[in-house]
Amino acid sequence: MGNEKSFWGKFKTFSIYAGPSTFAFLTVMIIPFIYGVYLTFTSWDGLSEIHKFIGFENYIAVFKDTEFWTSLGFTGWYVLATVIITNAIAFLLAYVLTTGMKGQNIYRAGFFTPNLIGGIILGFIWKFVFSNILVYIGENFNLPFFETSWLADPKKAFWTLVIVAVWQYSGYMMIIYVAGFMNVPKDILEAASIDGANGFKKMKSIILPMMIPSFTVCLFLSLQRGFMAYEVNLALTGGGPYKTTELISMHVYNKAFLSQQYGVGQAEALILFIIVATITLIQVSITKKMEVEA
Amino acid sequence: MKRRKILSLIITVVLATSLLAGCGTKAKTDDTKAAIATDKAVKITMLNTKGEILTQLEAAAKVFTTENPNITVEIIPVAAGVSPFQKISTMYAAGNAPTLAMLDPNDIPKVADKFADLSAEKWVKDASAGTLDAGSVNGKVMSFPLAIEGYGLIYNKVVLDKAKVDPSTIKTTKDLEAAFAKVQATGVAPMVLSPMDWSLGAHFLTTLYMDQSKEVGSPEKFIGELKAGKVDLSTNTVFNGLMTTFDVLKANNLDKKSPLAGVYEKAAEHLGKGEAGFWFMGNWAWPDIKKFDTANGQYGFIPVPISNNADDYGNSQIYAGSSKFIGVDTKNNDANQQAAGKKFLEWLVYSESGQDTLVNKCSLVPAFSNIKLEIKDPLGKSINQYLTDKRAIPTIATLPGDHWAQVGASMQKYLDGKSDKKALATDIQNYWKNIK
Repeated sequence: MGNEKSFWGKFKTFSIYAGPSTFAFLTVMIIPFIYGVYLTFTSWDGLSEIHKFIGFENYIAVFKDTEFWTSLGFTGWYVLATVIITNAIAFLLAYVLTTGMKGQNIYRAGFFTPNLIGGIILGFIWKFVFSNILVYIGENFNLPFFETSWLADPKKAFWTLVIVAVWQYSGYMMIIYVAGFMNVPKDILEAASIDGANGFKKMKSIILPMMIPSFTVCLFLSLQRGFMAYEVNLALTGGGPYKTTELISMHVYNKAFLSQQYGVGQAEALILFIIVATITLIQVSITKKMEVEA
Repeated sequence: MKRRKILSLIITVVLATSLLAGCGTKAKTDDTKAAIATDKAVKITMLNTKGEILTQLEAAAKVFTTENPNITVEIIPVAAGVSPFQKISTMYAAGNAPTLAMLDPNDIPKVADKFADLSAEKWVKDASAGTLDAGSVNGKVMSFPLAIEGYGLIYNKVVLDKAKVDPSTIKTTKDLEAAFAKVQATGVAPMVLSPMDWSLGAHFLTTLYMDQSKEVGSPEKFIGELKAGKVDLSTNTVFNGLMTTFDVLKANNLDKKSPLAGVYEKAAEHLGKGEAGFWFMGNWAWPDIKKFDTANGQYGFIPVPISNNADDYGNSQIYAGSSKFIGVDTKNNDANQQAAGKKFLEWLVYSESGQDTLVNKCSLVPAFSNIKLEIKDPLGKSINQYLTDKRAIPTIATLPGDHWAQVGASMQKYLDGKSDKKALATDIQNYWKNIK
């Protein structure tokens, strides 16, 4: 083998180890991405065989598309609600399920299960719950809160989306937090107990700082999933009532395929990508800085 | 030596991938090879965008295969809420278009360059007058009309009899209101108004364009004026009349407590069980009503009145037209598959089992005059009656793809009481102004 220092030598070593994955990454991620960026400058309708180069017209159309910005704002609230509630519940569950209580493994598996159900099916199940079961209960037990379908009211429909997302993801995040709890060194906790630290003090000064890596991962995942949510949105509310619960992914998809303005839809997708990338990068860099060594 | 090895390796990889890439877009369109090998097994696919006849079509595909053993037909369904255009564009993007694509009329011009010219097919001559128009581009027949569909207010005869209401006397908004009051007096909800955006946007509101004037081409003219921003809907008589009727429907709605919570299946149940007297829907709803039928099949249509003058255009007419068109793809399907696809269409029109599928199994009103089977479902029969009486206004086929969703959402907002007539008028005007 010999010459590891020459360019070809390095190239060969690289190709052997990382070649296949680099190739796959290039062909299924990078090249389509570049082609997608190119399409934002054309007037393609998604189906025809010709497309004209039209410069920045699509981007101008995006800035004029008020629905896009409304939908983005709505998505912002959705992400805020899901990230906070999902992580709070996941953390609490993880805390309870690492105290050594009876049957904690069964509980862990139970809370994780919703994550294994696909988004579309999940959406239909919950649609049935919100528009049939809850309404039935409301009518028969005189609970005005449930008497009308939550999916028919814009504000309540927002919360149905949040509830389902939290239910789906908190089990997954819980597993990550459980791993975080188990990685907190026992000797430090013991030392703290000997020094007279109470539960709250231990949580604040030892457990939380030691678990920052878990927070980094969980916040990143829940942020990214919140912005990219689509299937549950489609199956549960379908963007309704009257487009008030249309999350950004659904808006982009509808722009491209329903309104048949592929270029504009693609430009919106690119803007969305930039926004999500910026937010998650900032989040990761902040939480990374907060990490401490034991 | 080693360099050359790597180089040859890279070239091999590149070649192999270009081969793979080639698979995606195999378009064997050259008709010179059309020496159709009938003894060879052909598998064709059909995109079905009419969810309510999915099982019937799947059964028909099996019957077709027993009669034509070389051809197997696979029916591809489309998920609820996905428009036919969405589905077909993703299928084309994947290089995996179906042999037969069932689409809405307004999709046909956009995909026509990918479809086979069907002008020479046998069924073209037997098609009823006007049924091919929306599926033709530049005078060439590019697609097959699957069915004529119509819509209006469906009534349950048993409920109306009990309330002593004769549906044929309802000719004005006032008549309708009086009929509703009589039904209400018998303790039955007069009306169920389904809140789906496609029903409100694509069916109810489009009557606004069609009722403007008797003249041929007036809907298109009116839409042209809307696009140019020349129409003020708030002073338009048809718009005001139509929305006054809508208010009557709204006030007598079974679901008025939570008007957006209603679902299609439930509404069919309400009408079938006689829990409501009327339902604004079309004849495609028969299979769903039939499941709950308590009126022994006595249903029919009445027009949606738009004024208090019985002679006004639109007060005695319902709306009907070819609603689904099937095109034959030439890009992702070879000559054999195309021929098999055409054969399937011909089979639907001329074979006994094909006609049975259309009329009896799927309860469609066929667009072909050679089919003499008696339409058994009451709604299809009612539509057919309006057609023979020349009391059917042809539906518009040229609305933009997102019209039903956008305008439907504005209508839902109005139905929910979150906007008024003025805001609705502005919404509709703005929608059209932004269409290029």
